[in-house]
Amino acid sequence: MSSAGERAVIARRSRRQVDGWRWAGRIFLVLMLLYTAAPMAWMLLTSIKSGFAAMQMPPQWWPEEPTLASYAKLLDPQNSVGADFLRFFWNSLFVSTMTTILAVIVAVPAAYAFSRFSFPGRKFLFFAVLLRNMFPAVIFLVPLFILMRVLGLVNTHGSLILTYLTFGLPLAIWLLKGFYDNIPIQLEQAARIDGATRFQAFLLIVMPLSVPGIIATAIYSFIAAWNEYIYAYTFLSKNDQLTLPVGIQRFFSENTTDFPGLMAASFLMSVPVVVLFLVLQRYFVRALTEGAVKH
Amino acid sequence: MAHVVLKDLVKTYGSFNAVNHVSLTVNDGEFVALVGPSGCGKTTTLNLVAGLIPITSGEIAIGDRVVNDLDPKDRDIAMVFQNYALYPQKSVYKNLAFPLQMRKLPREEIDRKVKDAARVLDMTHLLERKPRELSGGQQQRVALGRALVRDPAVFLMDEPLSNLDAKLRVQMRSEIKRFHQDLKATIIYVTHDQLEAVTMADRMAVMNGGFLQQYDSPAQVFAHPVNMFVASFIGSPAMSLVPLEATTADGETVLTSAEGWILPLSARNARKVAAATSNKIVLGARHSTIKLHKSAVPGAVPAKTYTVEPTGDITFVQAFMAGAIVNISVPPTVAVAPDAAVWLEFDQERIHLFDGETEMALNAD
Repeated sequence: MSSAGERAVIARRSRRQVDGWRWAGRIFLVLMLLYTAAPMAWMLLTSIKSGFAAMQMPPQWWPEEPTLASYAKLLDPQNSVGADFLRFFWNSLFVSTMTTILAVIVAVPAAYAFSRFSFPGRKFLFFAVLLRNMFPAVIFLVPLFILMRVLGLVNTHGSLILTYLTFGLPLAIWLLKGFYDNIPIQLEQAARIDGATRFQAFLLIVMPLSVPGIIATAIYSFIAAWNEYIYAYTFLSKNDQLTLPVGIQRFFSENTTDFPGLMAASFLMSVPVVVLFLVLQRYFVRALTEGAVKH
Repeated sequence: MAHVVLKDLVKTYGSFNAVNHVSLTVNDGEFVALVGPSGCGKTTTLNLVAGLIPITSGEIAIGDRVVNDLDPKDRDIAMVFQNYALYPQKSVYKNLAFPLQMRKLPREEIDRKVKDAARVLDMTHLLERKPRELSGGQQQRVALGRALVRDPAVFLMDEPLSNLDAKLRVQMRSEIKRFHQDLKATIIYVTHDQLEAVTMADRMAVMNGGFLQQYDSPAQVFAHPVNMFVASFIGSPAMSLVPLEATTADGETVLTSAEGWILPLSARNARKVAAATSNKIVLGARHSTIKLHKSAVPGAVPAKTYTVEPTGDITFVQAFMAGAIVNISVPPTVAVAPDAAVWLEFDQERIHLFDGETEMALNAD
């Protein structure tokens, strides 16, 4: 009897301890959520204020006269601000999409080779691929700029696409290799015995299985390229070529800053990424956890 | 169907010889098992025949065609893998159709062959399922079906039963054997389970360390193992091997143990011992050929029981003798206690003698 009672007490106590941790965790998560979500909420609120309301002190927590004027201005191609914004948006879309397409085209065969073939220097190369990501981006700023000048690529989108590939590709290759490692080699062997060439086995059997990995890789390169600022700022100086992160800067000026306009532009800039992520997030999460656990 | 000839086959990885000068012929319609412990080179040999890995030297012929440099797809083979290797994104129907599509057969013919194969393997109702919705046994059947739709010259099977549970394994074992009898198919079957090899194969190739040890019918391999490795690998429980010393006095050859007892040998066995390279002799005997006595009888040698394992219709006894463990089987009616003194009587006609130095079987002639 008494031992059963003791056991119950111990059970209750250990349960309470676990619950304590769980509550601490929940509070931590809520704080983190506030910390990350509050700036975004403020961005949205500011974007629907008038220029005057945005500057008021103490701040208007909730806009008294919400207006979509900033959005209308940004999306109106007749307006000079809108024409610029749409052009930057298009530039960013072009650079990010090209980077993504090239990253996938190069990373898929590279990752497959690292996963499946044994060739001299395989291990060394695989880690060398990461070398670029071990240094801060600024270190490469000047060398890459000089390189781009030699190549005649300064003030072209090509310079950005090439540069973004240098840090997008290594991660894409690593991510995809994890994916290929998890696809049993016997599937390809079976396909090759069943009458497929090596390439057909890859195309017909392995590729469809690695679609989630490819999607995750694509999202990753797209977001990285979409948000990149420092290289875009350095390599491009012509107004009609700027990408969004650099272009948005133009809302700051020495005397006045159009805060509602800036916030509306920031919001519009985050839309493609959020939509992309929401649509494809299940692949993304799967890809990031896939390589971690052996089945 | 076709015969397969391996001639002096070698596969090296760096300085490691995975397959060492293996030569063997698989006749048309024959079921050959490659058997041996893990890492013995049996799966590598199979992959060489399949063309999945390039050979280092030697020759492989399927039918009358040397296939050394042919792609797997051009070798007219089918393979069943240990993990089945079913295409996870394809339905059972599409899994079965894939090899036919790759050979560009007309759609109607593919449909007919897939449905025939499904009927033979009794899985017509599973055709629309995905592999992950099938049980292990059903997946195994699909893998077999995918091999048989193509009507290949040779079937290669890489431990196809080892992922199944014990009961299903015994059932599928007879199904594969039946499949071989009905199709008169040439089959090369890799397994580490000597029981599978013995029960299914027409001939078995026992491998160890990349070398082919013995290639013969299961009955021959069982009755006349060529060396100590084969003797101890084939048969369950394993053949007991007891290291002893041979001495000859007054024209009579006996085996003596460190414990002091002697075992006289028949004239034929004495001739075998005379052929040995030294006086170190290993005595081999299968559990069913050893008689267990609870008291001393002439010709029997002393031992001490270690474990007693009743299995129902037969009881296995392990005993220590001259520093080695000896397996003996007795009828379940015989009561044996562990740690008891017993006397073992060997049948001179059925013992095996091995050279203690070379580990090779000793022959009288």
